[in-house]
Amino acid sequence: MNGKIALRTLSVVAGTAALLLGLADILVWIGGSGPFEIGFMQIAGDDFFRWAWGGAVVACGGLLLIAGGLRGAGLEGRARALLGAVLVSLIAGCDIFGMICTSIPAGEESEAFFNSVAGFIGGFAPPYTPAVLLLPFMLAIAFFLLREEAT
Amino acid sequence: MTSLSMDERWSLADAIAGRAVRTGVYTRSLADALGDLTISPLTGIPVAFAVLYAFWSIFSSFAGDLATDGFMVKLFDAHWLPWLQSVWPDPQSILYFLFVGDPAADNCFEAFGVLTSGLFVSIGVVLPAVFIFYLTMTVLEDSGYLPRLAVLADTLLHRIGLHGYAVVPMILGLGCNVPAITATRILETDKQRFMMMTLIAIFIPCGAQLGIMLAVIPESVGLVIFTLLFGFALFGFFFSRLLPGENPEILIDVPPYRRPTIENVSRKLRIRTMGFLREAVPFVLLGVLLVNILYLTGTIDRLSSALAPIFVVWFGVPPETVGPLVAAFLRKDLAVAQLSTIPMTAYQMFASVILVSIYFPCVATFVMLLQEGWKFLGGAILALMTVVFLYGGLIHLAGMLLGVA
Repeated sequence: MNGKIALRTLSVVAGTAALLLGLADILVWIGGSGPFEIGFMQIAGDDFFRWAWGGAVVACGGLLLIAGGLRGAGLEGRARALLGAVLVSLIAGCDIFGMICTSIPAGEESEAFFNSVAGFIGGFAPPYTPAVLLLPFMLAIAFFLLREEAT
Repeated sequence: MTSLSMDERWSLADAIAGRAVRTGVYTRSLADALGDLTISPLTGIPVAFAVLYAFWSIFSSFAGDLATDGFMVKLFDAHWLPWLQSVWPDPQSILYFLFVGDPAADNCFEAFGVLTSGLFVSIGVVLPAVFIFYLTMTVLEDSGYLPRLAVLADTLLHRIGLHGYAVVPMILGLGCNVPAITATRILETDKQRFMMMTLIAIFIPCGAQLGIMLAVIPESVGLVIFTLLFGFALFGFFFSRLLPGENPEILIDVPPYRRPTIENVSRKLRIRTMGFLREAVPFVLLGVLLVNILYLTGTIDRLSSALAPIFVVWFGVPPETVGPLVAAFLRKDLAVAQLSTIPMTAYQMFASVILVSIYFPCVATFVMLLQEGWKFLGGAILALMTVVFLYGGLIHLAGMLLGVA
């Protein structure tokens, strides 16, 4: 029972963070004053597609997580929370896929085709987008929700 | 063979049903609840936006950053082009012009030879774009998401006289307009099929075009796609009201979500990619060859001189764009590549790319329209010429009002 309450609480807290960070993505893009950086996190805000569209998806994911967490342990609540976690993870997955795709080639200046191992790993160095920083929490929420469904 | 009596038949049916049918109380699962959430407009629309975001993000990261910019540009510009220029004899000959192109070119985009631009576009740009497009498309199809997208799009598409399943040819058209034209057969009436074919031919840019746009004008692709989709909705609305015919309702069967299997995805991907390559590569190479011959014979220059006043005054683009626009009939992607070499303002480049997209369908799509009959083709051409003239002029007017044209 305590575990279920903890999972609902985590959904609401992570959902609130996703909602605020998604809105921040959009606001930095609207302001055109990016990049905005705090610690490991960076919102570049330079591209409508990533920051306005992607930010809106993260914010919607946050709303679904909050709605799911507040609905309680029923099936509908779990489904909403899971869908919210999936939306945020989708944006994070696209960001990570983008990092992989830009890290594999050596770059225009180099004569080699493939990046060195150090260069490849360097492509994953911080700062990260808000969605990527939220990803571990989203995966944890999705894991526990699916485990609840299985039992 | 003995015939069964009525009682024996019933007994056999009972025995089969007993083994095949499971009975019990159905419990609603998490997958059912998720399935319903992706159809309900309030939650389904954000999911649709997320899926389309992922679709485009994966497409541009793989086709743009990794395959084309990461490897193909280097392979073709730093290795293939210099090698070809060094071994092909007599740079002043006609054959050199046709197959290698401009002897002074330092990249395959600007060379415009069959073995330089032709190969680069088909292998370096179109192949990765089509591969990743069909991969993501197949995963969406096999997971059961596409019918849900059709349900969501149904209300919107009904406003322009189509129904939800019209979203399938629309998405297919983003890969290649040829299978998209074929896929319009899922629509019920001649009116719906004609509307969809015409709208696809005019407003849906194919994967090859998208790949080239991503390479040439990455900062404006979003605006170009938005303008095209706006035109799709605007002219769809008018077609729906002006054309005679019916727009019947349909029932959509929504299957449960399923995990796509690697065997199915890889089989579909192989068939679609190979089919596209068989159709597209010869068209690209032949297209470059024909365009070069038209340039050599002076046909494009004469057409440019004749059509320049219309393009400059009505559409607000430089007279040099007429050549690529004429060539766009053979390959729209190549025409966008040709436009990139002409000095233009950001607005002129945007307007020219829109014109290439809404201008005459590429020759492969033209052939597909022809297969539907002369009546369809004639109507489509008439609609197309009207749309190009009106929408092209409307964009120029908007540019003038905003002070950018």
